[in-house]
Amino acid sequence: MVGYFQMAGRAQIATKSSALIAMIADEDTVTGLLLAGVGNVDLRRKTNYLIVDSKTTVKAIEDAFKDFTTREDIAIVLISQYVANMIRFLVDSYNKPVPAILEIPSKDHPYDPAHDSVLSRVKYLFSAESVASGRR
Amino acid sequence: MAEGAGGAAANGGSDEKVLDFLDSVDSYLTTMESLAPILRQGWFDLASARHSMGVFRVSSASLDLKDHSASTYLQMVGHESDDSFVGQPSFSLCKWASADNKSCCSEEEIPDSQLRHRGTSRLSENQEQNSNGDDSLKTVDDLVKKERSKTLSVFGTLVSPKLRTAQLSFETALEVLVEAANIRSSMLSAYSQVQKQMEDTREGEIGPIP
Repeated sequence: MVGYFQMAGRAQIATKSSALIAMIADEDTVTGLLLAGVGNVDLRRKTNYLIVDSKTTVKAIEDAFKDFTTREDIAIVLISQYVANMIRFLVDSYNKPVPAILEIPSKDHPYDPAHDSVLSRVKYLFSAESVASGRR
Repeated sequence: MAEGAGGAAANGGSDEKVLDFLDSVDSYLTTMESLAPILRQGWFDLASARHSMGVFRVSSASLDLKDHSASTYLQMVGHESDDSFVGQPSFSLCKWASADNKSCCSEEEIPDSQLRHRGTSRLSENQEQNSNGDDSLKTVDDLVKKERSKTLSVFGTLVSPKLRTAQLSFETALEVLVEAANIRSSMLSAYSQVQKQMEDTREGEIGPIP
């Protein structure tokens, strides 16, 4: 960690900041989480959530994902795994530490670790290919 | 002899990193598995509330689209470089902060006055401190109740008890999700350390290019 900071050659400042939780999920999940007080609407009526239903287009989901992952005031993005599967390429190519992307189950689609983007990224270490390359 | 000891220490260090990584993967999977029953309970309570209050009252149509701040948000600690976070950020949940007082209502630290002190001479002092501590906890409790009611009032003045239960279930789900986010953060950090170590090992085996 210290070596990384030195290589970067930039000032590293420990900071504490407040941030929001964003949601891209079905109506019940979003409603429930809003009950827990995470809903935020700014003066431009921009929300920190997108309710996905049968009429929601893939482009709308992609735009919301891109928006939430580039906003500075969002630290965690919760996305139903079945919605993440619709934009899998975009989710898997995301690799920043913040905001953290968490794929969550929905009522009709249980959580599947095999599709989780962060587990897909790290499972390389368990693959036969990585073991074989280490032995060469 | 010294080289052997150094080699053994290096191997021990690398094993520790791999173990840290495996532990974090296991914790992540366990935490995500524990989320499902909590969410399921929340969905069930929400469905029950919808059944008693009516479909249109408990739906996205009732959501407040007037500008308002989130009562529940995150406190994030990390190392910032320019405008991005590097290293291992950590998240803590700040629940039910009121608009007037942005400090977390649900951060319940046990005040020193509530710790038991031996000796009768300090008894009356402690009793006074205890009552002050109780008052501050009651104030926090009242603020939390006020914020919870404010959120529920979006669905009407009188709400089903099932909606309140759903609120508590989703609050618990949020706590688990924040825990999962922290474990994810440490997992990615451990992963990058193991990956770097593997690359260093490969470079060491190949040796310098003549």
